[in-house]
Amino acid sequence: MNQRIIQAYRQAPWRVQLQWIGLFLLMLVGGMLIAGVYLYVSGRAAETGARIKALELEREGLAIRIADMRTQLAWLNSSQVMLGRAEKLGFRPVERDDLVYLPVTGVTGREVVFLAPPPASVQRENKLLRPAYTQSLWDLLYQSAYQFVNTRGGQGQ
Amino acid sequence: MNDGFGRMRLVGAVFVLLSAAIVYQMIRIQNSEHSRQLVEIFAKTYNQQVRIILPERGNIYDRWGNLLAGNKEVYEVGIAPPQVVNPETVARDLAAVLEVDYYDTLRKAESFRKEGNERYELIKDFVPAEKIRQLEQKLSEYEKAEKPKKGAAPSLSGVYWKPHLIRSYPENELAANVLGFYNYLDRWTGRGMLGLEEQYNNLLAGNKQQIILPLNPTEIQDIPEIPPGASLITSLDRDVQAAMERIIDHAVEANGAESGTLVVMDPKTGEILAMATTPHFNPNEYWRYNEVFPVGSYFNRAIGQLYEPGSVFKVLTMAAAIDAGAVQPETPFVDVGAIEVGGIWIYNWDRGAWGPQDMVGCMQHSLNVCLAWVAQELGPTQFYKYLQDFGIGRYTGIDLAGEQVYPLSLPGDQNWYPVNLGTNSFGQGVAATPIQMITAIAAMANDGKMMAPHVVKAYIQDGVQYSVNPRVIRQVVKPETARTITEMLAFSLENEASNALVEGYRIAGKTGTAEIPGPGGYTNMTNASFVGWGPVDDPRFIVYVWLEKPTSSPWGSVVAAPVFSQAVEELVVLLKIPPDEVRQQLASP
Repeated sequence: MNQRIIQAYRQAPWRVQLQWIGLFLLMLVGGMLIAGVYLYVSGRAAETGARIKALELEREGLAIRIADMRTQLAWLNSSQVMLGRAEKLGFRPVERDDLVYLPVTGVTGREVVFLAPPPASVQRENKLLRPAYTQSLWDLLYQSAYQFVNTRGGQGQ
Repeated sequence: MNDGFGRMRLVGAVFVLLSAAIVYQMIRIQNSEHSRQLVEIFAKTYNQQVRIILPERGNIYDRWGNLLAGNKEVYEVGIAPPQVVNPETVARDLAAVLEVDYYDTLRKAESFRKEGNERYELIKDFVPAEKIRQLEQKLSEYEKAEKPKKGAAPSLSGVYWKPHLIRSYPENELAANVLGFYNYLDRWTGRGMLGLEEQYNNLLAGNKQQIILPLNPTEIQDIPEIPPGASLITSLDRDVQAAMERIIDHAVEANGAESGTLVVMDPKTGEILAMATTPHFNPNEYWRYNEVFPVGSYFNRAIGQLYEPGSVFKVLTMAAAIDAGAVQPETPFVDVGAIEVGGIWIYNWDRGAWGPQDMVGCMQHSLNVCLAWVAQELGPTQFYKYLQDFGIGRYTGIDLAGEQVYPLSLPGDQNWYPVNLGTNSFGQGVAATPIQMITAIAAMANDGKMMAPHVVKAYIQDGVQYSVNPRVIRQVVKPETARTITEMLAFSLENEASNALVEGYRIAGKTGTAEIPGPGGYTNMTNASFVGWGPVDDPRFIVYVWLEKPTSSPWGSVVAAPVFSQAVEELVVLLKIPPDEVRQQLASP
């Protein structure tokens, strides 16, 4: 009698096999999905990394070009060159007798150059590379989850 | 049926065991000590790149922002031998454009093919940008060209160029004696030499950093932003400097002098507006240093060459005596043409006797006998105390590398004799640099306050501009004394119708002529100097002129005073200082 009851509720063997196969396939698909996400993220990260490297090289090159251009401009505006150009254009150095002095209210004369702001007015720039580009997937998930929980907590209060 | 099922199970179990064995083996290999070492070696060798980042060297500007020292782009050209496709093209083009040896370049280009060399081969460094543009043009031509039916296509593949910066001085020789130079050909160990470049080398150079970068692009690493070296804004005025260099060059040539020095300072702040010395030197070609400055010569005479200044020194003696109350401007003195000090007779410059004088007359006629008497009246203790306060025998601390000083002999020293009191009073037997002299005498133009001479007015570090505040060394004489001396010297110049006078501007000043000591005593060669400042009622500048061994005339009043006058003529225009009369009218309501 007991044997019969067990037999009545027992799954057919092929059904059990199907369940196992299904479970295996589910795990396989899940694993592949995770692997796909990893692959996608790694691919994007590699592409971004390569771009960042290229941009950093470009930035370095540009800094060199800027320094070079600044110096080239100074060569073009150097004392000797300017004197030569002025003479070519028919100018001559001003002499004491050429000058007429007039009082102009509010004019204090030429100020010494300021090529950069004074200490008090400077705000430090952020780092060029945002943390999101350097953190691992795990860090990203953890941080996002942490932020999510904290935000939810904040809203609940 | 059962047998078949059993066999299937057996086969499945075998496969599972095999898979497990493979997985186990993989894990074992991955975690073995040998594998760990191998990974480490590979990671070190191929997975990362070590880069040394040299920050851009800071710029040097004049007070108005004109660039005096900057950086220029040049290239390093090299070959990666494994990537060379056509060694002949590489060797031919590089030899033609870069002017390098064809056979040496060909050997390097073929080195992978012949010897398996995989190392990067440097072809030439410090290649100007124009040459690289030529190479780029060739590269683009080869890319567009059709492939030949026979043989390898012309190609520059495997040739690489990388930009870097070298020091450049756009004004060439202008202010070179103040700037110094940077030996940029020593790319990794270069440093500033002399002048500002040496004095502020660490600040200008910034911090060199070595970073390790992963080659794996997924391992993104932030390249630290390495700030450029600090930039300096000097107190120099480019136009004033250019004018002063022109004037002193002309003066040296016209007077057949061995060298010339001309320093312009703001007496109220100690800022150096111009510092011109001869000979000139182009820091862009610093390797020619020894041609311009043979052994024993001076790069910047204003701070590095000691000399007996002669009668300009009388300003200090008279200031000390008046400040201490030993004499007054009206104090009478009868000049008999000689005075005995420490058993030695001292004479005037013309060996003459000038009769009754007051202190103004003594300064006007530059009487050695009178000044020796003044020093005696003051006494050695007071006299030398004042000289020390004026900074004689001490460094001024000017922010330029290479300042020299000669210790002042004091009573009690082995090399001090009683006659020194007499000779020192008129600037003989004592050695000073022009910067020491101008710093000390500038106190007369600044109510007795001696300011620290300096060339750097501000510096820019990490994007912020910091100002360098003027520094008072000490109140060396009372303000009344300084004003009295200024008035006495202005009156003296006017009274003798000096060559130093400038129409429309009241100037105070003093000539100086000092004999140059040789092996057997004093020679007939002289150092001719002049120091002057103005306008007298509100001094805006002090100018120090020194001509070494002039041959046109030995006298400061003849050779140095006109140079001073010329310099002031240009200065008042460049500094926009109206004539006294106009200034007073403008000032009055």
